[in-house]
Amino acid sequence: MKNEHTLSPSSQMILQQYDQYAAVWKVMKKVVTEETSKIVANSGVTVTAVDSRIKDRKSLHGKLELKGYKYFSISDLTDIVGVRITTFYTDDVDKVAALIAKVFDVDWKNSVDKRKMHELNSFGYMSLHYICRIPESLFKDESLPEVNTFRFEVQMRTALQHVWATIDHDIGYKTGIEIPVEHLRNLRRLAGMLELADEEFSRIRKEIADYRYKVEGLVKDGNFDDVALDADTFRRYLETQPFRALEEKIAAVNQAEIYHSSLMPFLKVLLKMGLKTLGDVERLRKNYSDAAYKLSLSEIADTDLNIISSTLALQNICIAYLYLQGSGVPGIQMFFDEYRGVSDRNRPEAESLMDRLKNINFDI
Amino acid sequence: MTVTINNEGAKTYVVIDGRIDTATAGEFQDAVAPLMTSENPDIEIDCEKLSYTSSLGLRMFLMLQKSVQSRSGVLVLKNMQPSVREVFDITGFSNIIKII
Repeated sequence: MKNEHTLSPSSQMILQQYDQYAAVWKVMKKVVTEETSKIVANSGVTVTAVDSRIKDRKSLHGKLELKGYKYFSISDLTDIVGVRITTFYTDDVDKVAALIAKVFDVDWKNSVDKRKMHELNSFGYMSLHYICRIPESLFKDESLPEVNTFRFEVQMRTALQHVWATIDHDIGYKTGIEIPVEHLRNLRRLAGMLELADEEFSRIRKEIADYRYKVEGLVKDGNFDDVALDADTFRRYLETQPFRALEEKIAAVNQAEIYHSSLMPFLKVLLKMGLKTLGDVERLRKNYSDAAYKLSLSEIADTDLNIISSTLALQNICIAYLYLQGSGVPGIQMFFDEYRGVSDRNRPEAESLMDRLKNINFDI
Repeated sequence: MTVTINNEGAKTYVVIDGRIDTATAGEFQDAVAPLMTSENPDIEIDCEKLSYTSSLGLRMFLMLQKSVQSRSGVLVLKNMQPSVREVFDITGFSNIIKII
C-alpha cells in the first residue's frame, strides 16, 4: 500500500471516502454494466468489447498524488466507475453515444469529445468521454442514494483508437523514462494513420451499404442488366423467388410436395456457365424454363414420386441450357462437377442423362 | 428389408438391404429412429443393396439429414445403384443430400 501521508489532507479524506463507499461502487458498476450491455445489444451496433471497472485504490492514490489539488471530495472524481465501449466503426461511436445519452443523465459540462480536441496539425488520443449519473428511474435504493449522485465515465472509441490509446498508455506510463521526441512523433504519426484507417473503414462500409441499397432498387425495378452477378446480388435476386412458378409447375405434375432448399450453391455454376449479370440469369430463366419443365416432366411423370427439391427447377434450367447450347456430355459433367463436387460418377451420369435428353422433343 | 447399424468411433455406419416402399417404410423408420438422437451425428449409409426407394424413403433420408445437421453432423449415402441414384437425381435430392 502506498504511503497516504504523501497526500494532502483533502486527498487522504478522498481515499477514506473511496473505502467508505465500496458498496456504492459495486452497485454502480453492476447497473452501468447491465444497462450499457442492453443498450449495445439493442443498438444493432457490433462492438468488440464492453468493459467496465472500478478504479483500484492504487490508481486513485496515484491520481491524487499527481492531481489531488483539483479534488475536494470523492464526488468530484468522475471515473471511479468506468465503462468502455469499443466499436468497429467511427460512425458507431456516435450512435452508441446517442443511446447512452438517452438512458443515463449526462453531465454535458464535464463530458468531452477528445476526437475534436486536436489541432489541425496534431494527432493522438481520440475518444468520446461522457460523464453520467444513473437516473432514479433506472435504479433506486434508499440505503445507497450515492448511486444516483456520484458520477461515472463512459468511454466510447473504435478498436483502432483503443489499440493506439493502449499502446500510448503502455509506453508513456510504464517505462518511467522520458521518451525522446522523435519516438513520440512516430507514435503520433501512427495515430494519424489509424485515424485515416478508421475513416476508410467507415467509408468502405458506407459504400458497400450504398451498393447494396442500389442493387436492391435495381432488382426491385427489374433492371437486372445493370447488376453484376455475385453472392450478394444473387441472394437478393433469389429473394424475389424467380423460380417459384417453375418449381410449382413441376411439383404439380405429381402433386408433389416441394422441399425448399437454398439455391445459392448454383451461383458458382452460373458463373462457370459464363453468366455475368442478373440480366443473364433472368434471360436464362425466361428462355429455358419451358425446356426445364419438359425435362422434369419426362423424368418424373411416369413415377409416383411425390416430393421434389426446390433445387430441381434451376438444376433443370441449367441442364436444358447446356444441352440445347450443344455443350454435350462435357458440359453436363461440368455442371455436376461444379454443383455436387468432382466425382468419378459424374461422367457416366452425364452420359446417361445425355441419352435421356436426346429422347425429349424440346421443339414443341 | 434389413437395416444394420454399427457404431465405430465417432461415426455410425448403416447398411440397407432391400426396398424402401409403402410396405417397408415403417420398418425402415423404426430402424433409423435411434440415429435421430444418437451421440454420433456423423452417419454413413451404404446403399449398395438398396434396390428401390419411393418418396417415403426420400422423406426419411431428408428427416435423417435434418436431424444430423441439427447436431452439426454429416449424412453421406454411398454405393448407390444407378436406378436408386436416378430417383435422387430426378427429384433434385442429389443436390441436397451428400452422395458419394
